[in-house]
Amino acid sequence: MPRLPNWLRIALVGRNPKVTLVRAAVLGVLCIVAYKSALLHIRVEGISMLPTYQDGSAHFVNRLAYLRHEPKRGDVVGIRLAGPHVMYMKRIIGLPGETIAFVNGRVLINGEVLDEPYEKYNCDWNLPPVKLAADEYYVVGDNRTMPPEYHTKGVASRDRILGKFLL
Amino acid sequence: MKIIFRLVLAAALVGLGVWMWFVLFPSPEKVIRKRLVGLARTVSFSTNEGNLTRLAGAQNLGFFFSTNVEVNIDVPGHERHVFVGRGEIIQAALAARSAVAGLTVKFPDINITVAPDKQSAVADLTVEARVSGQQDLIVQEMKFTLQKTDGQWLVTHIETVRTLS
Repeated sequence: MPRLPNWLRIALVGRNPKVTLVRAAVLGVLCIVAYKSALLHIRVEGISMLPTYQDGSAHFVNRLAYLRHEPKRGDVVGIRLAGPHVMYMKRIIGLPGETIAFVNGRVLINGEVLDEPYEKYNCDWNLPPVKLAADEYYVVGDNRTMPPEYHTKGVASRDRILGKFLL
Repeated sequence: MKIIFRLVLAAALVGLGVWMWFVLFPSPEKVIRKRLVGLARTVSFSTNEGNLTRLAGAQNLGFFFSTNVEVNIDVPGHERHVFVGRGEIIQAALAARSAVAGLTVKFPDINITVAPDKQSAVADLTVEARVSGQQDLIVQEMKFTLQKTDGQWLVTHIETVRTLS
């Protein structure tokens, strides 16, 4: 077997192969831990978040996003169903304690119109006010072109919010 | 060296024994999980299945349910459906098999809580379904109640869970 040139050997296995092996193992473990605990890889299915997120696009959910602070209005979050493998991708529009209503397609927060620059399509929803409890958030998709009964939206308890979507 | 060899052998035998114990006497959670995965597989059918296979698949579905099972499907935007009894479920399965070309059902997340007497259990799970020829994925959180009857875990009640209220 031909001996590798020194520069190639260093590039491949480093000056000390044992140290390189330990480094690679540590890096591998860190990647697995980060992937399992901090980031969730997801693929978008459906049109409810158009035009912000396209059907079929791939993204990551940061599970550590809300360790230091609570979810904010405008955040796109993952809402778990029975577990983390399937989740709803929705935008938070209502925060705990607020009252949310839809009038002629506009969102009213405690009676005030919410500015939503991410909503590009026309919406004509009229939905009665909903008062949120201390641990509840109102979530909805950006695409509200369909009748409201065909759009998955509503009140999500804090424990259902898995994390924040990374763009 | 001989002692080390004996210790390693003893540890391997203990490990094998523990593994055999769990294989021969699985926990109720494991048995229920396996049964639910089997249920998802039985509900599913492919486009190239013959009529007899489809009929057999629908009939096999009955083995997963108790005779007085109640299924309550209440999904926003759709009509509410209630099925009572094993016969109605088989009929519904046959109707589904003639209405759509194929169906793939999976339960990607299953959380099982077994009662202290180990005779009943509740499974909170996500149903992921894809109808052949349709692009949209159907997802729904559901609650299954199971009862141990004659050594078999049978589904006695199914209801939809409103993830977003």
